[in-house]
Amino acid sequence: MEFFVYSEDSILIKFSYKTENKIFNSIFSVKKKIELDFNKYITDSVQSINSLLIIFKKNKISSEQLIKEIKDKGYKINFNKLNGKIWEIPVCYDPVYAKDLEEFSKSKNISSSDLIKTHKSKIYDLLSMGFLPGFMYLGQTDKQLHCERKLEPSLDIKKGSIGLALDQTCIYPQDSPGGWHIIGVSPLNFFDIESKSPCFAQPGDKIEFVEISIKQYELMKKDRLLKPNFR
Amino acid sequence: MIKVIKSGLYTSIQDNGRYGYRNIGVPSSGFMDQHSASIANMIVGNNKNESLLEFTLMGPTLLFNNNYTISFTGGDFELMINDSKIEMYKPINVKIGDILKVNHTKSGARGYLAVSGTIDIDSFLGSKSFFKSITRSHYLKNGDEIKVLRKKKNKNFYNYESKLEINNLMNAFKGPEYYLLDKESINKLFNDEFIIGLNNRMAYNLEGKIQAKLNSIISSPVLPGTVQLTPSGKMIILHRDCQTSGGYARILQLDKKSINNLAQLKVGVNIKFKLL
Repeated sequence: MEFFVYSEDSILIKFSYKTENKIFNSIFSVKKKIELDFNKYITDSVQSINSLLIIFKKNKISSEQLIKEIKDKGYKINFNKLNGKIWEIPVCYDPVYAKDLEEFSKSKNISSSDLIKTHKSKIYDLLSMGFLPGFMYLGQTDKQLHCERKLEPSLDIKKGSIGLALDQTCIYPQDSPGGWHIIGVSPLNFFDIESKSPCFAQPGDKIEFVEISIKQYELMKKDRLLKPNFR
Repeated sequence: MIKVIKSGLYTSIQDNGRYGYRNIGVPSSGFMDQHSASIANMIVGNNKNESLLEFTLMGPTLLFNNNYTISFTGGDFELMINDSKIEMYKPINVKIGDILKVNHTKSGARGYLAVSGTIDIDSFLGSKSFFKSITRSHYLKNGDEIKVLRKKKNKNFYNYESKLEINNLMNAFKGPEYYLLDKESINKLFNDEFIIGLNNRMAYNLEGKIQAKLNSIISSPVLPGTVQLTPSGKMIILHRDCQTSGGYARILQLDKKSINNLAQLKVGVNIKFKLL
């Protein structure tokens, strides 16, 4: 772990190890420990793929002092322990909603059904959230699915859409323009502004996609309070 | 109630912002110039973080349907109540039927109008600050009505002698990718002046380049005040409504005062960076 002063009221902790997947779990566990041990100072903490930004009350402690106190705790990085939940996200891969599925599989020279099989075969890390409130960056996808963003962004991506770009897959929490290739849609609500914790998942958790039919999608879509299963 | 007759160029309701939700991608938002906004609130006896109206370059025209005590701070806007000029940084009593016109600003970019009491709109994730996809609207429109819950007993009001000082010097910490800059670029960064280009509540584009062309980084946390260097050599300074993470090299981070100062600079103004 490397520590940096980011501003008067924030510090950045960088994690640099060789296998990215494992770093990711350890960042999550360090974040949880810091939040617990330094609860009285901290107002926000933002996790990304290889770093952690801690924002604190500057009238309570200085950046330098907080770095020192965190270092003094001597947190051990535990690679194997997984603290996050695994969420089961229902996805309908029907081309009616999966606008880019056919063109994308053609460009990759695989059948749509193989593409779907590959996409749902992996459990993904929720790497970070950004771009839109509740927008999930999930990684890493199978090599076969790696791709550039679309040359022209789509203007009308539907809420719940599942996208592909680079080595990641994503979930759009609301209608939005966007450049990811859309290969499916989920009937769940991913961002509930009325709730105190608007997202059921958080960075550090994992996401597993479970295929549903278009009929199931349309039925589940009607249930506004539908929550995903987790384990 | 206050009725918006003309909304101005970009007028919104802001408070101190949203905290604790950046990890799920929710920006902080809030007053662009926290210093001026808090003074506006203190003049009318409000808590300094109370919600108020923020306007940009060209202010709104408002009709008061009640008696209120109000105050103005920030940029040097021309203010008229029923065709007579009024002063900034002072408590002002307005009456039912008064029409307030906020014209252009002579210096500074943002103005704040505080009303003694509380603006009665819903809070989302702990804040009333307008932001698209979080609050119902993201700017005020002609015809909007703003309900204000007045204080039962008038508290103390204050006059402020100090006016807004425009400051073009941006004090900054080294950003996480600062060390990737070569010597020449660092010289340029602190000796050249950069011109403010297109900007909004999310970010300020700077014209003028430094030599270094840093590649994109793995998407990493950013904050209001983060100075990003794009692969073309141009810089962007993020502001209150910025996204929570970004993929450009973070070469500097402005201190709190400079973030407030930046909010008052117009397109075409020169700025300079200084390392803290």
